[in-house]
Amino acid sequence: MQPETAALEQSVQELATQFVLAGEQGGPDSIAQMLGTLSRISEAARATGSEELLKATGELARTLQPKRGRPARGKVQSGIEALQQALGTIAAVTAPAPAPPNTFASLAQDKELVSEFIVEAREHLGNVEMQVLAIEQDPSQSGPLQSLFRSFHSIKGLAGFLEFHEVQEVCHDVETLLDRARNNELTITSAITDLLLESGDYLTREIGRIEHCSLGDGEAAPASPAAVLAKVRAVLNERTETKAEETAAVAAGPEAAGPDVTGPGETVAVAAGPARVRGDRLVKVDTGKLDYLVDMVGELVVAQSLIRHDPAFKSTTDMRLQRNLLQLGRITDEVQRASMAMRMVPIGQLFQKMDRLIRDLSRKQGKRIELETQGRDIEMDRNMVEELGDPLMHMVRNAADHGIESAKEREASGKPAVAKIQLRAQHQAGQILITVSDDGRGISRQRIFDKAVRMGLVESTAVLSDDEVFHLIFEPGFSTAEKVTDLSGRGVGMDVVKKQIHKLRGRIEIASRPGKGTNFLLKLPLTLAIIDGLIVKVGAERFIIPLASVREVLQPKEGMITTMENRAEVAVVRDQLFPIVRLHQRFGVQPRSTNLMDGLLMLLETHGRTFSLAVDELIGKQEVVIKTLGETFQDVPGVAGGAILGDGRVGLILDVDGLYKGSRNG
Amino acid sequence: MQSEQTKTSGAQAGKYLVFQLAQEEFAIGVLSVREIIRTQDITKVPHTPPHMKGVINLRGKVIPVMDLRTKLGFPETEYDQRTCVIIVEILTEARTSLYMGLIVDGVAEVLSLAQADIQDVPDFGSASRSPYLLGVAKTKGKIRILLDINQVLASHEVGGLQDVVEASTRQAAGSEQADGVLV
Repeated sequence: MQPETAALEQSVQELATQFVLAGEQGGPDSIAQMLGTLSRISEAARATGSEELLKATGELARTLQPKRGRPARGKVQSGIEALQQALGTIAAVTAPAPAPPNTFASLAQDKELVSEFIVEAREHLGNVEMQVLAIEQDPSQSGPLQSLFRSFHSIKGLAGFLEFHEVQEVCHDVETLLDRARNNELTITSAITDLLLESGDYLTREIGRIEHCSLGDGEAAPASPAAVLAKVRAVLNERTETKAEETAAVAAGPEAAGPDVTGPGETVAVAAGPARVRGDRLVKVDTGKLDYLVDMVGELVVAQSLIRHDPAFKSTTDMRLQRNLLQLGRITDEVQRASMAMRMVPIGQLFQKMDRLIRDLSRKQGKRIELETQGRDIEMDRNMVEELGDPLMHMVRNAADHGIESAKEREASGKPAVAKIQLRAQHQAGQILITVSDDGRGISRQRIFDKAVRMGLVESTAVLSDDEVFHLIFEPGFSTAEKVTDLSGRGVGMDVVKKQIHKLRGRIEIASRPGKGTNFLLKLPLTLAIIDGLIVKVGAERFIIPLASVREVLQPKEGMITTMENRAEVAVVRDQLFPIVRLHQRFGVQPRSTNLMDGLLMLLETHGRTFSLAVDELIGKQEVVIKTLGETFQDVPGVAGGAILGDGRVGLILDVDGLYKGSRNG
Repeated sequence: MQSEQTKTSGAQAGKYLVFQLAQEEFAIGVLSVREIIRTQDITKVPHTPPHMKGVINLRGKVIPVMDLRTKLGFPETEYDQRTCVIIVEILTEARTSLYMGLIVDGVAEVLSLAQADIQDVPDFGSASRSPYLLGVAKTKGKIRILLDINQVLASHEVGGLQDVVEASTRQAAGSEQADGVLV
C-alpha cells in the first residue's frame, strides 16, 4: 500500500470517530473539527488522484456546510460511508500493485479497465440521447434531467480514474450546466438540448478513438474538446453573474455539484457506484463467453444424440436407462433453448437511434416529424439487431426525406402539419416483422416506372404489378428524388438495404398509396444462429438446404425432363419450366447415379425465381446451428456456412442464391 | 558470423513442435499450436485448392484443415494411425484469430532451440527463397526445417519449397519433384 493511502485511511477513520463522538447534538465545534479532518482528506485524495474519493469528499463537505441550518445527520453518515467505500476502491487498486511510481498512468493502460469503461460509457451515452429527447418532449419533467446528470457524472468519474482528461473535462462542464438546470437556475432551451447532444456526440467520438487505441490499432491524439467546451462555458457564463458563489464552489472541488440534492434515496444509489443504478438484476457477460456456451451446448446435443443412436443402446431393454436418457434429452433441449435466449436483446435500443435521427432530420429539413414506435421490448438476436441498424436507418431517412412532404404541401393537401413515421416490431409465426411506415406522399408508380424505362431496367411496354414496380427502387443506382440532398437521394442505399436484409435471410415488402403514405415491411427470422434445414445426400456428402427456400420436393418421372439446345436441362412441372442444377456437378462430387430418375428434384426459390436442384436423396429435416466456415472459406460459391450434424460431422449449408447464379455463369 | 546469421534467419530461440512430412522433419513455434488431434471425418468444401481438405468439427467449432504435404508439394499419401492434425491459431492482419488444422504424417517431439542452433536457409542460387521458411535448426546431427506458420496460412501462392527442402537435407527424391507444383 502506498503511504498516501495509509494516511488517508487513518484520516477517514478519525473522521468517523469524530462523527460518532459528536452524537445527536453535535454542536458547531464538532462540525468545525470534522471539516478540518475533511480538508486533510481532500488534500490527500488529490495526491492520489482518485476521482471517486474526491467526489465523496466534495459531497461530504457540502453536507457539512449547508446553506442554512444544521447538517442532516443521516446525510453525513452516508457521506462518510461513501468516503469509506471510495477509499476501499483505491486501496483495492493500489494494494496488489507492486507500488510503481505512477499507479494511475498504468491504470489507463489496463485493457480490461479501459474496455469496461468503453462499454459503460456507451451505455450512458445511449441514455443521454434518450433523456435529451425526453426533455425536448416535456421540459418540465425532472426525471430525465436527473438521469442525464447521473450519466455525465458517471462517465466523468470513470474517465478521471483512467485519465482521459478531455472526456472528463467535457463531462464536468456539462454536469455543471445540468446542475444549474436541476436547481432551476437555468431553463432548458432548444439551444441547450442541441448542446447536450453535441457534447454526447463528442464523447461518442472520443470513446470510439479510445477503443481504437486500446485495440492497438495505432495511436491517435484526442480530438480537441475546445469547441464543445467553449459553447458549454458560454452558456454557463451567461448566468454566472447571478451566482458568483456557485462558481467558487465549483472551483473549490470539482464535485461540489454533487448529485445528492434530490433526497437520501437518490444519494445511496449514486454513491454505491455509477454503474449500479439499474439494479443488480443484470450481469454483463462477454459475448465471446456466450458464443462459447452456445457452442458447447450444441456439442452436448450432438453427444446426447450419439448415445441415443448407439446400436448398443438401441438393443437395450432396460426401461430405466431409456427413461433416464429421455429425461437427459429433455434437459438438453431446455438448456439449448435457454442458451439461445441469452443472446436475445430488445429491439428498443435500435429504435432509440431512430428517435435521434428523426429529431436531427426534422430540424435540418424544417419538417415537423413525429416518430411513433411500438414493440420496443420485442427481442431479437444481438447480432441481428446490430446488422439491422444501417438498413433501418436508411429506410427511416428515406421516409423522412422522400416520403414526407414539406409543411406547405401537407397543408395544401389537408394533412396534419406534424408528419408521422411509425416503427413497429412484432412477432408473427416465428418471425419478426418490422414495419416502417409514413403518412407522406406515397411512392409514385408512374415516376418509378418512367425512371426504370429511362435506365433501361424495363421495357416501356412491359406490364408490371404494383409490387414489381415498387421493387424497382431496390435496383442499384435507382433514386427518384428530384433533388439530391445531403441526406438521401444519391441513389445509393435501397439496393444496399435489400442486400443487407437478404443477408439476414429476411424479405422486404412494400405497400404504398399515393397521397396516403408508404409502408415497408421487413420479415426477419428470430435469430441468425439457427435455421430449419433439409439434409440431402449426394454421393457420400451431406448438405443442408435452408427450409425457407424449399418450395417442393419431387420424384422425377419419365418425360418430366427435357434438354434445351442439347445442354441446359429443364424440368416441366405443371406446365412450368424450371432449370435444373445438378448439385454433384456444381460441387464436383461423385453421385450415386447420374441418372436424374434415380434421385430427387428440389424446387428452390431465390429472389423470386425458382429452379430445381438434383440430389441423390433426402435424409430428413433438422434444426441446425449455423457456423461460419471462417475467413479461409468465406467466399466459396454456393456455400453459406456449416453446421454440426447429428453424428458430429460438419455439414455444409447451401447458399441457394449462389448455387443458382453460379449455374447461370458457368 | 553468428549474429549475422541470426539476423537474416528471423527464427527465434524457443520451443518448437517437430513433425514429419515424408522423410523430413519440420518444426513450428509451439506458441501457435493449440492442440494435436487424430484425423477425423473431414467434410470437403467445393471449389477450394487441393491442399485445403475441408472442415472438421472441433468441439462445436468448425475448423478448416489443410494437408501440409500437398501444400508444401509432397506427394499425397493415405492417412494412417500416425497421421495427426495440428490445430494452430494465428492472428490475422485484421487482428482476428484464425484457426487451422494442419494434417501431418506424425508428431515427433517438442524441441528447445537456442539461437546458436538456428541457421539461415542455405542459398541455392537460382531458386528463389521460399516464403515459408524461417531457418534451419541443427541439433544432435539432425536437420529440422523451421516453418513460418503465418506465411503458410496466409499465402495463397505456392512457393518453390520443394527445391529448398531437398537441397538442404540432401535427400533428393526424384519422384517428388514432379508433384511439387500445385494449381
